[in-house]
Amino acid sequence: MREISYMEALREGLRQSMEKDDRVFLIGEDIGIYGGAFGVSAGLLDQFGPERIIDTPISEAGIAGACVGASVTGMRPVGEMQFSDFVVLAMEQIVMQGAKMRFMFGGKAELPFVIRLAGGSGTGAAAQHSESLENWFVHVPGLKVVMPSSPYDAKGLLLSAIEENNPVMFFEHKLLYKMKGDVPEEMYTIPIGKSKIVREGKDLTVIATSIMVPRSLEAAKILSKEGIELEVIDPRTLKPLDEEPIIKSVIKTGKALVVHEAVKTGGFGGEISAMIMESEAFDFLDAPVRRLAGLDVPIPYNRNLEYHAVPQVENIVEEARKIVQNIY
Amino acid sequence: MAEGKKEQQLIGGEIERSKAEDLLYKMVLTRTFEENALEMFALGKVHGTMHVSIGQEAIAAGAGPALKEGDYLLNTHRGHGHFLMWGGDLNLMMSEFLGKENGYCRGRGGSMHIADVESNNLGAQGIVAGNLPISVGVGLSIKIRKTKQVVLTLFGDGAANEGAFHESLNMASIWNLPVIYLCENNQYAMSMAFERAFRIEQISDRASAYGIKGLTVDGNDVIAVHQAVREAADRAREGQGSTLIEAITYRYQGHSKSDRQLYRTRDEVKKWMKKDPIPRFAKLLDIDEEGFNKIEEKAKVDIKNAVDFAENSPEPELSTIMEGIYA
Amino acid sequence: MAKEIIMPKFGFTQEESEIMEWLHSEGDSVEKGDPIAVVSTDKISMEVEAPETGTLSGIRYQIGEIVPVTEIIAYILQPGERLPEIKGIEKLSKIESPKVKKDQILITPIAKKLADENSLDIDAIKGTGPQGKITKTDVENSLALQRNFEPGKERATPAARKIGREKQIDLSKVSGSGPKGRIQAEDMKQQRSKRIDEKSVGKTIKTSIPMIGMRRTIAQNMKHSWNDAPHMTLQINIPMDELEILREELNSAKQSTAEKISLTALITKAVAVVIRRSPIINSQYTEKEIKILDQINIGIATALEDGLIVPVVHHADKKDIKQISDEIKDLSLRSKEGKLEPIDLTNATFTISNLGMYGIDSFMAIINPPQSAILAVGKMTKFFVPAENNLPMIQKIISFTLSADHRVMDGAQAAKFLSDLKEIILDPKGLID
Repeated sequence: MREISYMEALREGLRQSMEKDDRVFLIGEDIGIYGGAFGVSAGLLDQFGPERIIDTPISEAGIAGACVGASVTGMRPVGEMQFSDFVVLAMEQIVMQGAKMRFMFGGKAELPFVIRLAGGSGTGAAAQHSESLENWFVHVPGLKVVMPSSPYDAKGLLLSAIEENNPVMFFEHKLLYKMKGDVPEEMYTIPIGKSKIVREGKDLTVIATSIMVPRSLEAAKILSKEGIELEVIDPRTLKPLDEEPIIKSVIKTGKALVVHEAVKTGGFGGEISAMIMESEAFDFLDAPVRRLAGLDVPIPYNRNLEYHAVPQVENIVEEARKIVQNIY
Repeated sequence: MAEGKKEQQLIGGEIERSKAEDLLYKMVLTRTFEENALEMFALGKVHGTMHVSIGQEAIAAGAGPALKEGDYLLNTHRGHGHFLMWGGDLNLMMSEFLGKENGYCRGRGGSMHIADVESNNLGAQGIVAGNLPISVGVGLSIKIRKTKQVVLTLFGDGAANEGAFHESLNMASIWNLPVIYLCENNQYAMSMAFERAFRIEQISDRASAYGIKGLTVDGNDVIAVHQAVREAADRAREGQGSTLIEAITYRYQGHSKSDRQLYRTRDEVKKWMKKDPIPRFAKLLDIDEEGFNKIEEKAKVDIKNAVDFAENSPEPELSTIMEGIYA
Repeated sequence: MAKEIIMPKFGFTQEESEIMEWLHSEGDSVEKGDPIAVVSTDKISMEVEAPETGTLSGIRYQIGEIVPVTEIIAYILQPGERLPEIKGIEKLSKIESPKVKKDQILITPIAKKLADENSLDIDAIKGTGPQGKITKTDVENSLALQRNFEPGKERATPAARKIGREKQIDLSKVSGSGPKGRIQAEDMKQQRSKRIDEKSVGKTIKTSIPMIGMRRTIAQNMKHSWNDAPHMTLQINIPMDELEILREELNSAKQSTAEKISLTALITKAVAVVIRRSPIINSQYTEKEIKILDQINIGIATALEDGLIVPVVHHADKKDIKQISDEIKDLSLRSKEGKLEPIDLTNATFTISNLGMYGIDSFMAIINPPQSAILAVGKMTKFFVPAENNLPMIQKIISFTLSADHRVMDGAQAAKFLSDLKEIILDPKGLID
């Protein structure tokens, strides 16, 4: 199969969606001639023109509101938050309007829009351009939250998100944009709300999101040499969560570790952890469920500090080993 | 709608007589609905808060009816009048007000979020200025679909000082979107008086900052509002973009049920009551006291019937609580 | 210089002693000759005396610890003296210490107060201070744990608990291998297979007796004997009428029971005399040689409530009946009072075990190493036996069973010993020189 990057996979997904469906348009800051801050929409302006590749002023609430208003009147907009951090400026439109409108109106409105957000640290962009805020949206009924960790998933999930008749928060990771992988040329969808067992193992279930998936796979490779076999599960969709495969896996391994980049307190790991406790898997737990997540700190500018603010491969190796060896 | 049949008199040179009479009835109906709502609230028959527009009925009467079928409405939390003027069914509206399953929003929205998506009534708004960015999206949608529709976006003087006002009017302006921004300046954002919140004479002055047309009208004059909205809609349909209309009016009641109104004097309220839009419009229509009493009686009967209808309507089943969140 | 207090050696086979009690604490002033500790050798409690006047310091072993003889157990310090640096203490301290009494645990005063206030059992607290002293922090940590884990609230994983519920295994009976003793699923699986084993032989535990002190010694010795020494057993029934007649004659003039010669004393004398004719009975086995011993020291196995002791009649062959009888009575009395000296219990070369008083007809005893044989004595029973005229007559008969180490001797040698014994009992004049 052809190998392309995560970014190219996203671009291809956007292009194919727009070719297929006239209702789809892109709206965001610098997505036109500039091609998007990270280049995702590069070249699309030439193909689709400024009516469908809409550059906006620096107006995040306006972008989100445009998605709400356009989607409720029959369009399928894809908005972009240049950095996921900027979504704070659009929260009211997403949380108060987009997420709730269908419900408030008695289920009589549809809001098929996607907000793409470039998140994550590792680029030296410091505290206001490096956050991982996905769990805020997991907390909001009415939204769906997707977080692809590979080029294949990026395209398949984006196509699903655009076809979805609900607001979808689509969290991309800046460090994954250059990641290469096999991606089919044709259109294909990966169902929203479906997780993926990316590696099978018997000793510990690792539930990882976004860039923590490749990092966990790397850690699994290292631990395998010690005879420790990690089972790595990527939920891919954080909301609605595909619980069953996680529960089944924890029943098999008896142990669970959640790994994500977002700060630990109030993070998605707490949700996964609680879900496991509430599930049938509780009776099969043979160690406390652990969370390996970002420190409760804004992302620092200093390269070394930034590196250590979020889980790295060696941290996953160490934590997984401790759990398997009953240190906790 | 603006063009009447030849034999019909155009009231104020703007509205056909039969339509104007219907609008007068709906203004009375709005006020009766809200007075009844206040009474029901006092009797404990409804729960939650509500925002009444008593004293402001002329704007609703002049605005919605100036548009065409297929146009969009983005309402405010003080929007009972607009909802009725947009063609809302009184019974179903009352059901929603009482939180019944057969209400417009299945009892999930209530007074503050009432919507009728089928008639392109995109709902009342609980967040001040919350509908302004949405208007950009609706406008864009119309523009992309090339349908010649327009969006009537309502908001109050308070919303004009939200950041979203700026983003939205600017975006609507640069993209030439068919949006009518109709600001109901009722002098108070809750307790914050217009004079304390603005250093400009009129909110419509801000239109020039976005390069769009702006005007201020007497919001207690149905004809003035109707004319302003109709002309703005015509411009929008012709591709001339957005308009900011400021309609000056006054809210007789408190902001909501919990408002003790310490920020204004009784005299001030009485002074405005002398400019009450309903008698004013009745006078314009040459309707005498007897005729007016008949209208009031009909409104009261209609409201009573609507209350009966709503009270006898089913409550939502608890088992349906999770419905309507996702498509 | 600091005076060392060593674990004394009390008998020639003794290799270690258990600390039973410290009679003084560190810092106490003691006078030379004061008893400072009670230790237990194989079968007897002994006092360790202060070798000098001074301050008791540097206690190195706690109650319940088993200490090799000649090992330093504490010091006596004079004013200004310091404890010497001790090498190898780590290794020594690792000797099992199953039971510890509260007042002897190293604990800071504040920690003790805190523990007392909270009725905390300090036995269970692991000290982190110098020499394992329990500190305030240790007590606080322990309290924190206790609050979370009261009795019945064992640390266990959900998976372990599930197995517990399903297989009806009491978590309190399972020792956990996880952190802080947490019971893991694997522990439960092992417990289950253990329990199945127990069920199959119908065992249930009512109470447990710790394998310490005398019990431990007996267990070790008997196991050692049973595994190493191939036992052969020979039984003989001996009419006791003549010996009884002799005993009556000897006792006829004596008024008090204390003065009367016991049957045990007569049998002991008879055994001692017969051993002289069969010296191989009185020997010790080693890998290289069999040591035939000169001294004939007869041990008399004596039951205690929770074990047994074997007081020794030394040089039994050289003592007359009265001496032997008196000595046995004295040993018996002092054993009941717990006043036996180590010398009373050591260096036996042959053992007599008599269970006749329990109505036992005959039994087989296990050799008490390093001895080579033991004689088991049953009860005296009257039998009708045919006399010379074939008419029934009554005889008093005791069944004697000899267990002998086949490595040391053969059947015929053992048989000769018993045959000689029968002969002298049938004609006991030889016992009164």
